[in-house]
Amino acid sequence: MSIFHDNLNRLARRDQPLAEAVKASVGGVLAVESARSGVPSARRSGRWVHSAYDPLREAETWAQTQASACREGETVVVAGVGLLYHVEALRKQLSSDIVVAVVISDLDEFHDVLVARSLDAWSDHILWLTGTPVHIAETLSRTGRPVRCLSYTPAAQADSSFHRAFEEALRRGIASQAGGQLTIALVGPIYGGSLPIARYVKRALETLGHKVQWIDHSVHASSYEVMGALKDVRNRQMMQGRLAEVLSQWTVASLAESPPDLVLSLAQAPLTLPVLEHLRKKKFLTAMWFVENYRHLTYWQQMAPGYEYWFVFQQGACLDAVRQAGARQVSFLPMAADPELHRPLELSPEERTMYGADVSFVGAGYANRRHLFPALLGHPWTFKIWGNEWEGAEDLRSVVQRNGARIDTDTCMKVFNATTLNLNLHSTTGAGLDPLADFVNPRTVELAACGAFQLVDHRSQLPDFFTEQEMISFRDFGNVPGLVEQWLGDAAARQAIAAAARTRVLNAHTYVHRMRDLLAQIGLSQPDRVGAVLRGDRQKETLLTRCAGDAPLVGLLKAFPAGQRVELKDVAAHIRRKGPTATLKREELMLLMLDEYRSETRDLL
Amino acid sequence: MRSNWLNLSVVWFPTMLHDSTADCRALLIQLARLGDLVQSLPAIEALQAGHQKTSFDVLCAAPLAAVLSGARNIGRVIPWDGAQWRSWADQWADNPRDILRAVQTYLASLGESAYDQLYPLNQHSRSHLLTQLFATDRTRTEHEGHSAVYMRPWAEYLRQIAQDRGDNRVHLADAWCGMSGVKPQGQAPRCSPPAVALPGDLAPIGERPGLWIGLVTGAGEADRCIAPSTWGQWIRAVLSYADEAQVVLVGSGHERETGQAILQSLPTLLQGRVWDATGRTNVGQLMQLLHRCRWVIGADTGPLHLGTLMGCQALGFYFSRARVHETGPYGEGHWVYQHATQAQPESWPIQESVALMCEGRRQPALGWTLWRNRMDHWGTMFEDALGQQADGDSRAAVWRRLTPSLCESVAA
Repeated sequence: MSIFHDNLNRLARRDQPLAEAVKASVGGVLAVESARSGVPSARRSGRWVHSAYDPLREAETWAQTQASACREGETVVVAGVGLLYHVEALRKQLSSDIVVAVVISDLDEFHDVLVARSLDAWSDHILWLTGTPVHIAETLSRTGRPVRCLSYTPAAQADSSFHRAFEEALRRGIASQAGGQLTIALVGPIYGGSLPIARYVKRALETLGHKVQWIDHSVHASSYEVMGALKDVRNRQMMQGRLAEVLSQWTVASLAESPPDLVLSLAQAPLTLPVLEHLRKKKFLTAMWFVENYRHLTYWQQMAPGYEYWFVFQQGACLDAVRQAGARQVSFLPMAADPELHRPLELSPEERTMYGADVSFVGAGYANRRHLFPALLGHPWTFKIWGNEWEGAEDLRSVVQRNGARIDTDTCMKVFNATTLNLNLHSTTGAGLDPLADFVNPRTVELAACGAFQLVDHRSQLPDFFTEQEMISFRDFGNVPGLVEQWLGDAAARQAIAAAARTRVLNAHTYVHRMRDLLAQIGLSQPDRVGAVLRGDRQKETLLTRCAGDAPLVGLLKAFPAGQRVELKDVAAHIRRKGPTATLKREELMLLMLDEYRSETRDLL
Repeated sequence: MRSNWLNLSVVWFPTMLHDSTADCRALLIQLARLGDLVQSLPAIEALQAGHQKTSFDVLCAAPLAAVLSGARNIGRVIPWDGAQWRSWADQWADNPRDILRAVQTYLASLGESAYDQLYPLNQHSRSHLLTQLFATDRTRTEHEGHSAVYMRPWAEYLRQIAQDRGDNRVHLADAWCGMSGVKPQGQAPRCSPPAVALPGDLAPIGERPGLWIGLVTGAGEADRCIAPSTWGQWIRAVLSYADEAQVVLVGSGHERETGQAILQSLPTLLQGRVWDATGRTNVGQLMQLLHRCRWVIGADTGPLHLGTLMGCQALGFYFSRARVHETGPYGEGHWVYQHATQAQPESWPIQESVALMCEGRRQPALGWTLWRNRMDHWGTMFEDALGQQADGDSRAAVWRRLTPSLCESVAA
């Protein structure tokens, strides 16, 4: 009998279909060679997937690093098969209460392992996962166990798209099941474009049932603005910097009042790197949604190591750059709309006259817009520009509304709704279309959410957002006048496209969707913290099940309303409500004592 | 749930076996820091003297339990493991039932939990909860009565002087006597150091004759720390003044850098007379070191108190929020330079304190007042050592106002 057949027999005892599938596969993915230490090692597509010197020692080190984070009761899912040294080492380091599962993205690779190495008894305690990424994710989600994903990169990178799809499916699965209530501190900016997004995020998180502590720094905007009036640049920067430092400390003081499960910052939130490092030491979980173009606003380079999680709306090079700057975990999270605000409006005839036009543009007077928009003048259709920073654009003066004053969100929505054809041109400092068109701006989604028809400059991400039946884009601004004339003359088609785009937004591109994804991503990598709350492990009912048989605890938990998340501080507060003269049970005193130690995290400043 | 508290090395310090024939069992609770624990000893001794048929146990922070190892007639020292409680609190949500069971097991492991009398010296929630946990229904009621007569008046007094300072002359250790319903003994407690070995290179400290000085490098709070350069000046001054002087730098692991900085600020020739023990001793070893010193000097009240307990003469630099009258080294013949304001001092009484230590010469220093303490039946009190300020001994009046019953019994 060969090693392969021994291995197949061993596998068949637990998973007959998998054994048959492996038998039917051909292998040939791994090139197995002897390592210096004498055991087999392997290359895939010319790259070593294990050490050429000592694969066992390498696997041991990898497993040690990973094992410290794993918790009892979890399913630890390993991406990357290779010759399974790392899986064997991990299995041996973890307690039996932890399930180790391996994602098999390529049966031929698994075939090669079974030929190269004898799988011993440890392999009987591995859950082998095969099938499509969605199928594997569903299998895991159904177990109801906390899932922790680990990647053995040397072996996983060859099938990175498979593993990415699997994680995506898993995240969606977790997001759809999430029912627990998190407490999230939302740190907004002092001013700027991310401020309204902070408000949308707040509403989305609350819609999902989470408790949001909004640390609103916009109340300090006037002070910041006053300092901006200082003529001396050094003094101005110093004073504004100091204010940002004070606000950073203010954030910490606010967090100390009631420590949240997660601190979520929006771009430009005034949190300094030392404060973020301090929060990390105090075990606060921090995340940043950087809703800015990473090429224009570059302070992420200094802040990258400060946050535990980064979410950015650009992919590819952006993800790599933020990682290289020191960010631990970076994920893609695109922009969205808030249907509460971005929606179709009933406008009066006067409003339609005031805010409407055949073609409108809302936005600031960036260089490319100044350069391109004059081509839209002198046509038989009307054209209006709304927004600020159009000073000096003399040729556009006749179409700039309100002398280029900044317009508020309500006005913006009225313009979107009253306009027949909204033009959406992404900004750039050059003269033409954005040459690095790698993100979709909020306006794209907001217009769609309003049920407003738009012409947008093409973006590489656009096909992921909308189909060609939902959104019309152009790659050459010279085509815009023709497109305007074409679509102005076809009201039915315009309305059908706009309605389809709105439906798509409501189904996939709202801030609720984004926040669900964001939390699922964090929950996936923190199955014992945020993940536990999202799964509902802290809800009254779950706690009651876990405390069955403990009469004092059950008695205390029953006092809370159904479906409520119950933490130690809630139980303690319930006990304290009995009053200072009440005679407390011994268990109640113990819980109060535990709460005394819990509250030490307040000692932040 | 992964419970690791059983791995904890719970150390008992039975200086006297629990006396099962004792009529009464009492527990004194002191969860605060090193200085407060040492300052509780006068109250413990006074209680023992006043209630001879009572066996007294003391509950304190586990890392400090060694401090009481040499104290006389304490029944049991119960080490309270705050770090473990913190860990349980963090894990509670994962498995409330198992955490509660671990807590129950832990409390059971501390021994009999019902005491006839309780003395919680700290007026904070943990202390009150411990009082409840270690009391019976009966003693809880009795404690309420005791608390109304002794604890509350003194606790309110301490709160008041913490807020408005005023001209208080009652030392904190004596106030704790009052809280416990006893008068001070009129003598400072003394302990022998625990029989622990020092790291090999520190073992020679104090073995040969000389003026051995324990120098406390740090302080509990940053604004009460003295800069390494200032300590460097002080050491240069004392080593130049007295050929027989040897300085032992003491401090926790946090003070290792300070210790290094002090050493580096000294000329190489003097470094041979300076012993850096920062970060290298546990509490028991620190006691052993201080026991070998004649003097202890510093701004951190905790090690100063520990030094006096080990028989050192203390010299304190008190500034920022530190006040000689409340927290000066307990006993008799200790010295404190008190800064005139709460601001960070701009100059230090370096030559003056060296002259005082080496020759007993009292000299004024700009911006500082010099105080020396004495003992009487009201406890310890610091007096102006240069006679520049009128003596405002208000202690008798305070005692009579707060606990008249105790004063009557003394008179009787």
